[in-house]
Amino acid sequence: MIVSLPPSPFDRDRRNRRTMIGMAGIGLAMLGLGFASVPLYRIFCEQTGFGGTTRRAAADVQVREAVGHKMSIRFDSNVAPGMPWQFHPERPTATVTIGARSMAIFVAKNMSDKPVTGTASFNVTPTQAGAHFTKIQCFCFTQQTLQPGEQVRMPVIYYVDPQILEDSDNRDTQQITLSYTFYPVEQDKKPS
Amino acid sequence: MTTITADHHGEYAHEHHDADHKPAFFQRWFMSTNHKDIGTLYLIFAIIAGIIGGGISGLMRAELAQPGIQYLQTWAQFSDGPNATLDQAYHLWNVLITAHGLIMVFFMVMPAMIGGFGNWFVPIMIGAPDMAFPRMNNISFWLLIPAFVLLLGSTFVPGGTGNGAGTGWTVYAPLSTSGSAGPAVDMAILSLHIAGASSILGAINFITTILNMRAPGMTLHKMPLFVWSVLVTAFLLLLALPVLAAAITMLLTDRNFGTTFYDAAGGGDPELYQHLFWFFGHPEVYIMILPGFGIISQIVSTFSRKPVFGYLGMAYAMVAIGVVGFVVWAHHMFTTGMSVNVKMYFTAATMVIAVPTGIKIFSWIATIWGGSISFKTPMVWALGFIFLFTVGGVTGVVLANGGVDDVLHDTYYVVAHFHYVLSLGAVFGLFAGFYYWFPKMSGRMYNEFLGHLHFWVFFVGVNMLFFPMHFLGLSGMPRRYPDYPEAFAYWNKVASHGYEIMAAGMLIFFVNLIWSLAAGRKAEGNPWGEGATTLEWTLTSPPPFHQFETLPVVD
Amino acid sequence: MKKVKSLVLAGLLAFAPALALNGPALAQDNAAVAAPAAGNESAAADSGANAAAPAAEAAPAAKVAAPTRMKPTEGIGMPRPGEITLQEQFSPTGRTGRWLHDVMLLPIITIISVFVLVLMLYVMVRFRRSANPVPSKTSHNTLIEVLWTVVPVVILLVIAVPSIGLLADQYKPAPKDAVTVKVTGYQWYWGYEYPDNGIPEFVSNLLPKDKAEANGEPYLLAPDNRLVLPVGRPIKLIITGADVIHAFAIPSLWVKMDAVPGRLNEKTFTIEKPGVYYGQCSELCGARHGFMPIAIEALPPAQFDQWILSQGGKPKGAADAAAQASAPAAAPAAKI
Repeated sequence: MIVSLPPSPFDRDRRNRRTMIGMAGIGLAMLGLGFASVPLYRIFCEQTGFGGTTRRAAADVQVREAVGHKMSIRFDSNVAPGMPWQFHPERPTATVTIGARSMAIFVAKNMSDKPVTGTASFNVTPTQAGAHFTKIQCFCFTQQTLQPGEQVRMPVIYYVDPQILEDSDNRDTQQITLSYTFYPVEQDKKPS
Repeated sequence: MTTITADHHGEYAHEHHDADHKPAFFQRWFMSTNHKDIGTLYLIFAIIAGIIGGGISGLMRAELAQPGIQYLQTWAQFSDGPNATLDQAYHLWNVLITAHGLIMVFFMVMPAMIGGFGNWFVPIMIGAPDMAFPRMNNISFWLLIPAFVLLLGSTFVPGGTGNGAGTGWTVYAPLSTSGSAGPAVDMAILSLHIAGASSILGAINFITTILNMRAPGMTLHKMPLFVWSVLVTAFLLLLALPVLAAAITMLLTDRNFGTTFYDAAGGGDPELYQHLFWFFGHPEVYIMILPGFGIISQIVSTFSRKPVFGYLGMAYAMVAIGVVGFVVWAHHMFTTGMSVNVKMYFTAATMVIAVPTGIKIFSWIATIWGGSISFKTPMVWALGFIFLFTVGGVTGVVLANGGVDDVLHDTYYVVAHFHYVLSLGAVFGLFAGFYYWFPKMSGRMYNEFLGHLHFWVFFVGVNMLFFPMHFLGLSGMPRRYPDYPEAFAYWNKVASHGYEIMAAGMLIFFVNLIWSLAAGRKAEGNPWGEGATTLEWTLTSPPPFHQFETLPVVD
Repeated sequence: MKKVKSLVLAGLLAFAPALALNGPALAQDNAAVAAPAAGNESAAADSGANAAAPAAEAAPAAKVAAPTRMKPTEGIGMPRPGEITLQEQFSPTGRTGRWLHDVMLLPIITIISVFVLVLMLYVMVRFRRSANPVPSKTSHNTLIEVLWTVVPVVILLVIAVPSIGLLADQYKPAPKDAVTVKVTGYQWYWGYEYPDNGIPEFVSNLLPKDKAEANGEPYLLAPDNRLVLPVGRPIKLIITGADVIHAFAIPSLWVKMDAVPGRLNEKTFTIEKPGVYYGQCSELCGARHGFMPIAIEALPPAQFDQWILSQGGKPKGAADAAAQASAPAAAPAAKI
């Protein structure tokens, strides 16, 4: 049996301090990870479509149409409490060819007597379809300002990625619902 | 497990005549740097918090004893003034459930398990004279006081519909952000910050102590399992709590400084909060139960007069539980709309935890097997723990199934499950440890008859209180409801009567505590006989103010 | 209580048109719907046949009476007094789920608990100090340690197979012709909208105690307006929250889904039998969390269509056809 000699108090203190600094470092790293989770989560959602996050493509994107393969798209609209807008899709549903560029129109009207700026949050269901739903142009990419009583027709140009046909998770997906919620933009609320 | 070389046995108490020199009262208790005194402070604090948290559950069981709102409006007059509305009464309900949860988790179980028993016995069990950072230890304790005061104080300031934070202990956004105006939720969050800081400091202290302060020969694989359990717990704290701190800091900025981390209006996502919270929250439940595992291992071994069966398996089962505990968090979020693959993963991962937990249960029974059992009070509590924790564990397997969770999520089944593992698991572990170490800490024996009586009354009471909640949950009663349809009346009534019995059991405990402190028989250094092999039993009861000024050598 | 009552009353008044508390008499006064009012059985077929005609809107207005508000059956779609197990299930996934719980999980966990209890009682009797004064020193037995690791793994695998199957089954997306209802959780009531049938959102509030009792409905489970759905057709609920997170739950249909502000969730199920199925909000949402009940009234398809007509809506087939006919502008988007 080997018995190590008791370390001198001086050695022990130094070792303790080293351990403490290491552990405090781990704690701070986890704290940092906690805050870093905000952008990490966003990137994760964008990359994987987690939670029904949609993708975004440039205007010149080339997609192969999957001729003969259709997908039903449902449009859903919400306005947050305190948002004086009417906001609804022009048609509740559409049937599109997978891979084909399609356009949907949402109509928004400012019901108040003040200009109101709004910004929209969005997702699709079923959530596993998010990775295959790509927007090329969307009113949700930027803030929208409507003058009192103004009504606008806002387009979304999107396509359903043909990869959805090979995705076993989406074997049973027959209809994708695209949902928007419009929020008022307050001066003190900045996008995080 | 550990044996002490014979020439050192039993003599540490007498090494220095001034080992028992104690500072004056204020110095000793308010500026304490002594791990045993700080442990005592933690235990006293936990008992006070437990009385408050348990009292709150008494209010809840009184209100739930029958359908309808009987008392809430009267009570609301205390927090919301004489003209409290019905909505304020309903809000008070949410304040009660929130306070009960936070108090029991952060101010009762954690301080008692880690702060109390951990402080008292980890240094002794590894043969160290004190914690690595005695002054930091003191800070850890005293941070809890303002944290607790903030939480209790939040009850009396506006928190939305009425006074107090009514967000549930989970503090989900957006109910906790846009849904709760007023300073109450800010105070509750700040309270969590401070309690969290206290625990992180404590965790660093324990890790450093256990890694560096062990007596010669006390290798990691010779450490008593209680020390192992505290080491794993400390790492869980260190990894999980900072994430909670980040999550609730962002809640605070969302509430007060216009950020939108959890607000879809600014591109945030309320689900992110839930992910962060449960990344902390799931390890947190192991933080509460792991030290209990350690305590039970010591007690079962002591009173069976046998070494722990499968020591390494037991130690690494705790490590495994800790590690896997970090990758199962979203099983708390099965109904938030995650995609099916994610649910399948979390279902499978969650079930994996049953394996190391099973190893622990069976190893305890194997430890008893072939032993020579004396049914002293701590052993009776430990046996109760093993069975009730099994019951709580198997309902966890049911809840782990994402498909089944669709009907059980946020029902009383969940409440039953986590009270079986915590209120009947962790709390039985606490009582087992309290009776086990009471002679060592106080120098006096508790009353064996009252200890047994306490066990049996409490055992009947909590089972009557929590077992019917399984039935309520299965038949669909949601959590956090102050009132319920007539159909749920029967089992709620039974549960409330169970509470009365449990409360009677607690009275017996306090009678025993006071009687034993005042008039208990003097305890010798090792009252438990040859089964008690860990270092604390080589000291006098109570141990000298400074122990191990010459380090013991472990064989 | 006053505040709740007044809010409920306000809800009742505001949505009187959608309210069918006492059947036809109260049901509709503004149902100026164009669809032909036929008997229950033929309503669907007729509207389907006529739907393509763009003139449908101009057809003579006829009032369609809503089906009589269904009386709940005691103990069906609601908890039973003193019940100790799951509610009776009325959806295919519900029956699978209940099977998983009742036939697999409950017996397994009971056997495990009893096994542990028996082992403990055995060791407590056999190895008490008076019976076994000299303890053994055994602290290892590789075989048994492997055994109690492997056996639980096998048990878990046995559970996992049907469990994963149930999950996959539950979250199979709805077919595109599913009856779709938009559900919105508010503090503290529910809103229901039928986007394919042109029925705008109506809200559903807690029915006060006296009204619920007069109606023969369980207080705290019964809302004023129910979510009316057809039996036998796949149903897709798209669910969101307006202010804080709520959760839409119907225990007897195995349905629970969070209503999260700023995002949409969907939940698919099929109801097998006509009836009233009650549920309650299942995510803490503030003061009146316990007071925003849910009730689904499941009607046979023909009566469901009749209900749709009575609310001024168009049954599904009609709405689709009309949309196709009246939307040439959208055709390019849908081309190929």
